[in-house]
Order: sequence, then structure tokens, then C-alpha cells
Amino acid sequence: MNDDKLEKLLKEADCSADAPVAVSVSLSDLRRRAGRRRVALVAMPTVAAVVIAACIFSLMPGKPKADVEQDRIAAIEDRIKQLQASTDATLNLIREVLADEREQRRLDRLEAELASIPDPVEEIQKQVDKTAFILLYQADRLYRELNQTESAVDAYNRLIELFPNNRWARVARQRLDEIQKAKPQKTSFEGDTLWKPQNS
Amino acid sequence: MLQDLTEFFCNVLGRAGSNMLVMAEIVDDRLLVERFNRGDEAAFETIIRRHSADVAVLANRLLGWPGDVEDVTQEVFLAALLGLKKFRGECSLRTWLFTITLNKCRTWRYRRILRIRFFSTASGKAAFTFARSADEKAGDSDTFRRIRQVVKDLPGKYRHVVVLKYLQELPTDQISRILGISRNTLQVRLSRARGMLKQDLAELTED
Repeated sequence: MNDDKLEKLLKEADCSADAPVAVSVSLSDLRRRAGRRRVALVAMPTVAAVVIAACIFSLMPGKPKADVEQDRIAAIEDRIKQLQASTDATLNLIREVLADEREQRRLDRLEAELASIPDPVEEIQKQVDKTAFILLYQADRLYRELNQTESAVDAYNRLIELFPNNRWARVARQRLDEIQKAKPQKTSFEGDTLWKPQNS
Repeated sequence: MLQDLTEFFCNVLGRAGSNMLVMAEIVDDRLLVERFNRGDEAAFETIIRRHSADVAVLANRLLGWPGDVEDVTQEVFLAALLGLKKFRGECSLRTWLFTITLNKCRTWRYRRILRIRFFSTASGKAAFTFARSADEKAGDSDTFRRIRQVVKDLPGKYRHVVVLKYLQELPTDQISRILGISRNTLQVRLSRARGMLKQDLAELTED
């Protein structure tokens, strides 16, 4: 089997596979994802520390019986306080994240509404620029490829007349200057006079 | 009139025009990165819009055509968001994103393998039986499924070069940059990957 055939088979197999489902990624999604990751990074070590502390506490050697009950009660109270504190902290964090998400969703909606309104001035500007460039290209072609200098001059002038402030009009003016400079050289070129006697 | 002129213009420029477009896109990407580094977050939205489809297609291929690659794509752009300030511009933004995609796909596959090993009891890889009758068309869906399975089962380093070279059709320089290997190593891997594919797909390609 040659490599081309293998390559063709691979490409056909790829084409016949299901295309990936439409992916919707937005900056707000990414920010939410990063936030969730941060929460996980904070919450998991906290929980692990509490569990380890509880294990260590439960494995500690016993004290004389008289103090055991009071110590145990105090330790349990401490643990309850610690757990309450960590739970409160986690709940606050979750509330903050939820509030952030609500805010982000609201912002997303507003951004989507804003994005759905195209900027007409920008669109028109683009079209004008495109048209001016095409006119310049046509004129360049007349001048450089087809040697139709007069038509090219007309085209450049038309471009300057239609779009005087456009950047392509500046280029057209440069071209006109070039043509102006080139004209006297052509007329004084002796090649013209050399050809005439030969033709006649 | 305008449309005709535009069409004519495109035809005249032809291939040179497309190269110019690629160059323009690279320059534009650099500008977007600059804008993002100066605090314009809308620039990153533009980067996402411009490259998310390409990243999703590459991830889909690297992960063996699962179809749903949204999670990996989001991971790629999250990594890009966090690391764009460190982007030095030594390669194009597209190449940089493809490198991240490759690394994320490697991680994703690795985690998936670990999960499968952890949860599955005693199940080896299901043998893919494939019988090809004489009158079966060469281009039917079973054949293509078989080819995709063979590519999917290739070792990672060979699968990556096959996907990047034959399916993404990237130039050799760009592939070596993405994989972080020399051109010679890339050629060796390509050659070995081709050998493996030819061996596994011998029954499909016998003339």
C-alpha cells in the first residue's frame, strides 16, 4: 500500500466521523470555571485538615478517668465550633460564588444583547474602504498591466473625487504623481524617434 | 458590480491572497494578545471566537472522535486565559493553542484510563471484530469506524503525529514545534506510525 492511499483512507475516515458538537466557550464561562476550581482548592484542604485533626484527636492516649469526661466534652465542643466555623466559611464562599454567577449571567445577557446590535457606521466604513481599494486596484491594473495611462488617470481621479479622505485616495495621488513624473521622460525618449523612420 | 469585482480580485490574487490572509491573521492575533495584555478582555473573546472551532476539531481527533469535546475545549481556553500573559510570541497563537490542546488531551486521556482501570473489573479491551466481505464497499461506515479505531489505538506519540500531519494537515515545522521534537524525530515517528497503520489495515488496502 502506498502512503497516498493510506492518507486518503485516513481523511475519509475522519470525514465520516461525527463532527464535534457545537462548542460554546465564553470568557464568563471560563471565569466561572476558574472560580469553581479556586473553591475546590480552598475547600478540599480545609475538609482534609478537619478530618486529619479528628483522627489524631481520636487516636490520642487516654487520660485519668476523672478528667476524661470533661476533656472529652471540651474537645467535642471545640470540634463543633471548628466545624461550625469551617461550614460557615464554606457557606459564605458558596454564597459569594452563587452571587458572582448570578451577576455574570446578568452581564452575559446584557453583553449578548449589546453584541447583537451591529455598528452601522463601522459597516459602512468597511464597505467604503473596500470599494476604494477595488477602484485603486482596477486603476493600477489599467496603468501597469494594460498600459492604458489615460484611463488609469481617470480612474485615479474618480477615486480621489469619490473618497477624498480615504487612505487609498492618498495612494491614488501618489500614483498620479508618478504618472506626472513619468510623462516628460517618455516624450523625450529617443526610442520614439528612432522607430518612426524605420516604419515609414 | 461590487461582488463581481471582489470575485475577480480574489481570483487574480489566488494563492498569494490566501497566504496574505494567513499572514494578516497572525498579525491580527499578535494585536489581540497585545490588547489582552493591556487589559482589554474583549480581545480574548475574539480569540475564542476565532480559534475555538479549530481547537474543538483537533481535540475531537486527538481523543478518538468522541463528539463531545466541550469540556476539553473549555480547559484549553481556561489555560490560555491564565497563561496568555506569558505567551512570548515565538510561534503563532494558533500553534500555541494547539500545543495546549495536545497537552490537555493527553491529561484527559490519562485520567480517563485511570478511571476506567479503577472502576472496571475484569474486562480487557473488547476485540474489534471486522470481517470484510468481497462485495462490501471500501468506503462504508464499518471500514471507517475500523480505521478510526486503529488510529485511536495507536500509542500516543504516533497518534499525535498522524492526526497533526494527515488530518490537520499542518506543516512539518509547526508539528515539531507543537510536539517539542526535532524534525528527524518527527520523520521517524511518522514512518513508524505509517508502518503500524499499514500493518493493522492490511486487509483494507490489499489491491
